[in-house]
Amino acid sequence: MKLINESSKTKIVNNILVAFLAIYGISQKRFDLSEPTLFHQLVTEVISPVQEGLSNSKKSLSSLWDNYLLIVNTSKENNVLKKQISRLESDLSTMEEVRKENLRLKRLLSYSDEMSHQRVMAQVVGWDSANEFKVIRLNKGRNHGIKTMAPVITDHGLVGYVYRVTDNYADVLTILDQNNRVDVMVERTRTHGIVEGVFNFKCALKYIMRNEPVEVGDKLITAGVGGIYPKGIKVGMITDITKENFGMTLSIEVIPSVDFDKLEEVLVLIPTEVAGVESLLPAVEKKI
Amino acid sequence: MRMRFSQILISFLITLALLTGLEIVTSTLLPAMGWKEYRLTFNVLIILFLAIRMDSPLVPWLILGLQMIHSIFSIEGWALGTLAGLIVMMSANYLKEVLHLTTAFMTMLTVQLFQVIWYVTVTLIICLKISDFDKFGLILWSFIPGSILLSLISPVLFWMLGLIWRVPSDGGSRGVEI
Repeated sequence: MKLINESSKTKIVNNILVAFLAIYGISQKRFDLSEPTLFHQLVTEVISPVQEGLSNSKKSLSSLWDNYLLIVNTSKENNVLKKQISRLESDLSTMEEVRKENLRLKRLLSYSDEMSHQRVMAQVVGWDSANEFKVIRLNKGRNHGIKTMAPVITDHGLVGYVYRVTDNYADVLTILDQNNRVDVMVERTRTHGIVEGVFNFKCALKYIMRNEPVEVGDKLITAGVGGIYPKGIKVGMITDITKENFGMTLSIEVIPSVDFDKLEEVLVLIPTEVAGVESLLPAVEKKI
Repeated sequence: MRMRFSQILISFLITLALLTGLEIVTSTLLPAMGWKEYRLTFNVLIILFLAIRMDSPLVPWLILGLQMIHSIFSIEGWALGTLAGLIVMMSANYLKEVLHLTTAFMTMLTVQLFQVIWYVTVTLIICLKISDFDKFGLILWSFIPGSILLSLISPVLFWMLGLIWRVPSDGGSRGVEI
């Protein structure tokens, strides 16, 4: 008597084959950087225009609602003023950073050149469809000069970096994602730490020693370490500090400067050094 | 009841189109309406249907195909969900004698049970990949609200998929052999 019939054998073989493929796929998977496959590239280019169309039609509808059904001029003026305020706040923050930097540099009698960036404006057309990843899709890609690892910002602060890019679309790993770790420093005390995405559209500031004089309300800016983000971009604000009875570091909660709930347009910064960073990464990995 | 290959192909293509539409709803339409925090992972629901209701050697390849489409919309990729789908399918095989999706409540309960298996598997693998098991609870918790909503709508989606795959509505857990 045969214990296993032909159909069961085929099932087992298929299960094993697909399981091996999946395990291989998992072993090759990286959550911090990715090159799209030809399949991904082709299907993204076909499907994403639908996402873009839907996103635009929603914007058109809400803009119709905002601008015509509600008080037309107040809404427009309010938007312009809000943008102006945030631009001025951003300028002030940058000026303050430049002033502090100048003081330090004068003291050290040396100087450093600021990174020059080409800026590409893009619209958010979609979000990652899985719960555990906080990734946004932009309507600009390689054809517009966007490269992987390029930092993405708004006038409020840091959004993330380009995770993968196709000809006309780019996926951005936001700072809300647990796979994105940003080197930051507390603006007031110059204390360095790492910001990681946690949950509920919040982040955590890690590796801050218990004796550091950080306070609730302190602002965080990028430290410029790591080669991805330029120095001085606003990241967020400390909203809660917990001193556990154990451990050497503080448990700190951070609210991002960017309101991800209302994220519509972003700026992709394309530093001339991006190519250099990309070529450095595999070399670093090989060494590890 | 057996299905011919051409029927399987047509049903699979319709299912892929349905998944694409639902993924666009999850990734674009719902976030545009302000729902950004939780996602409805429809790929999980469709794969659960195939894993629970179908009895065929082709199911693993169908799961792989569906996950390839899901990978367009998520950096999760195809591999994680494929492995989780296989584990769910094998669990359903062992439990086939006790699974009877005859009422909407039983469908919701079964879908919730298998979603837990799915999410524990996926969360474990992600924690392994990022070498951080402190986040296990946080990641698993992020799935819960969406999974409950998915369970609630599962009878409707299973009914639609039943029509696409020609599964009799009063059938047992392993409705159609292909």
